[in-house]
Amino acid sequence: MKTIRKALALMLALCMVLALAACGSGDKPIESKAPESKAPDTTPSDQGGEPTAEVELLWWAPPTFIQDADDPAGTYEQKLVEEFNASHPGITVKVETIDFTTASDKITTAIESGTAADVLFDAPGRIIEYGKNGKLVDLGDMFTDEFKKDVGNDDLLTSCQGNGTYYMYPISASPFYMAINEKMWTESGAMEFVNLEGNRAWTTEDFEKAIEKVSASYNPGVLFCGGQGGDQGTRAFIANLYDGSVSDGKEYTFNSEAMLKGLTKAQEWIDKGWLGNGVQYNGGQSIELFVAGTTAWEFCWGTSAAGNNAATMEANGVKAISLPFPSADGKPVLEYLVNGFCVFDNGDAAKAEAAKTFIKWLCDNEENVTRTGAFPVLQSMGNLYPGDAEKELLVEFTKMYGPYYNTMDGFANMRAQWFDMLQKITGGGDVTELANAAVEASNAGMAG
Amino acid sequence: MAKTPARLNSHALKRHETMVAYLFMLPALFFFVAFVIVPMVTGVVTSLFNYTMKNPVSPETFIGLKNYIDLFQDKTFLRAMLNTLILVVVTVPAVTLFSLWVSSAIYQMKEGVRSFFRCVFYLPVVTGTVAVVVVWRWMFDVYSGILNYALTSMGLIQKSIMWLGDKRFAIWCIILIMFTTYVGQPIVLYVAALGNVDQSLVEAAQVDGATDLQVFWKIKWPQVMPTTLYIVVITTINTFQCFSLIQLLTEGGPEGTTNTVMYYLYQNAFSLYKYGYANSMGVVLAIIIAILSAIQFKVMSKDVSY
Repeated sequence: MKTIRKALALMLALCMVLALAACGSGDKPIESKAPESKAPDTTPSDQGGEPTAEVELLWWAPPTFIQDADDPAGTYEQKLVEEFNASHPGITVKVETIDFTTASDKITTAIESGTAADVLFDAPGRIIEYGKNGKLVDLGDMFTDEFKKDVGNDDLLTSCQGNGTYYMYPISASPFYMAINEKMWTESGAMEFVNLEGNRAWTTEDFEKAIEKVSASYNPGVLFCGGQGGDQGTRAFIANLYDGSVSDGKEYTFNSEAMLKGLTKAQEWIDKGWLGNGVQYNGGQSIELFVAGTTAWEFCWGTSAAGNNAATMEANGVKAISLPFPSADGKPVLEYLVNGFCVFDNGDAAKAEAAKTFIKWLCDNEENVTRTGAFPVLQSMGNLYPGDAEKELLVEFTKMYGPYYNTMDGFANMRAQWFDMLQKITGGGDVTELANAAVEASNAGMAG
Repeated sequence: MAKTPARLNSHALKRHETMVAYLFMLPALFFFVAFVIVPMVTGVVTSLFNYTMKNPVSPETFIGLKNYIDLFQDKTFLRAMLNTLILVVVTVPAVTLFSLWVSSAIYQMKEGVRSFFRCVFYLPVVTGTVAVVVVWRWMFDVYSGILNYALTSMGLIQKSIMWLGDKRFAIWCIILIMFTTYVGQPIVLYVAALGNVDQSLVEAAQVDGATDLQVFWKIKWPQVMPTTLYIVVITTINTFQCFSLIQLLTEGGPEGTTNTVMYYLYQNAFSLYKYGYANSMGVVLAIIIAILSAIQFKVMSKDVSY
């Protein structure tokens, strides 16, 4: 009996070891877990260079494209995939929709477990981070001289790079800006300080006069810092107040004299009640306050915020006026979103080539660009929104794009430092001391 | 000595039963090993490496106990640990005592009334965390929150309070929400446990002139001790692992006053991609939970009567 028990126990132990081995196969090539190419060796075809052997790709698609009315999320993406598959024999793309909230966790987990998709849509912040960590395919061959000339914007091209290597192929870009509640600002007599002509650039001085008036009757917009969401809005706002900058391209510099002046001014406005203390809100929650008609302005605004909240604003009788951030010299510098695609390095050259073919097909298409609700990165596409006054204004905003620092080393760490610093400053802390500490920690974090 | 046929049959039966038992256990064991033991061991092992998205686990990235040394010099981690301990120290006794009190009050009521109370207290348990958080966030809102409205209307405060944004109040708001979401299950368990208390003992004690307090302390309390032990251990573990409330409500703010070990671990793993460092936090947390649970078992098991 004892022998049999021992034998059974041994069997169980063996099963456990097998289970361990099965789950711990970290050394296995990653490509075996994602959809596999059915034949490893491929040759370029005469139809656009796609491989002739059967290649299967998985595309992770967070909400990217505007859907037709009543169509559920992912419908347009599915149509695109069907169209691509029909026109590209040898490549089969499968689309899987993911949501932005859980995207980061899902992608990180997938990368570490070797189950990442082949193609992903995202913004440069995360994509370049994956690239720098060796998880992505170098897309340098897609950035031909002709393509770069057509983009014609070095900052935008830089946003697609990490350590000099191209990891993101851009489809569209759109600026981040601020918005004010027309009714509240008109009723409080603050519209006289707002420039509605041309590119609507205005000064810090005018902004200060305006918020004094508006906050006497309505809840001021909040300097949100409850979390990282939408934090580019607060950085752009503070930086523009006295023409400071978050970084010099090499290091984080938000403890510069101009930035300290901006932070001190914001603290002063909060103390006076001219600016809302946003320690309880992140960018998304701050937008909720604005579109509900609770607060009079919003620092985290853009084409997607405007589009997603159009119905809510209409229901609440809120009409938003888009404005660039106020600046000391009336020449604002805006941050912007670049939409694009990356290709995960799943160790299969055929799949990488097929993925490049797919994302080029997606991005170099005018309808797909307009479906992102943003502006083309290729100048040759021209004005894709003729007759749309708001979009024409935003085209003016695109001329205010500043250097793109979201792909700098330690960006994720800097964001954590930024909102923590802002919380302490809004709570009445010493601006210089806090900014110095946050910059020191941010720069220390650049080393990884 | 030759075995008799009867003994042989008995052995064969036992062997057969043992084999069947092992076979029944096999699927469960497979999943247990694959999804519990393997990740646990991996977590412990990788905590000894400078494991990041860039640096995979390899001999070159082995750093021994450096992650642990850094951890105990990391002010943010120590603050998060302190916050977590505050949550545990306040929440666990509060949940246990309140649920025992409510259960004592309702367990002898009519079935319908008892079910009503159980349902009311259990509702937050079955409601999704996101929905619970949305409601609480609205209640605590500085502009339109009902809490500020009520307190202002009653003249208790002059100006709206930023409950979740004020470092004096934020952690207490978290404790309050945790309390309401944790108390449901203990109440259901205590009602069942109190219902199983031997009534003949209670009646005998009452006949002998025992007071209500004496009946509770000498008869009911020892008999519900296994339930209490379970509730204390489970609530302690749940509180230590509190994450979603923090992520959805405060993201660790204001000024780190609601940052917990689990949330800090998540930030390190999923925002900063410091997997090895995050895993070392997980190991430390697991050790603390294990030690505390062992102490709870040791101390409370003395009074357990089954």
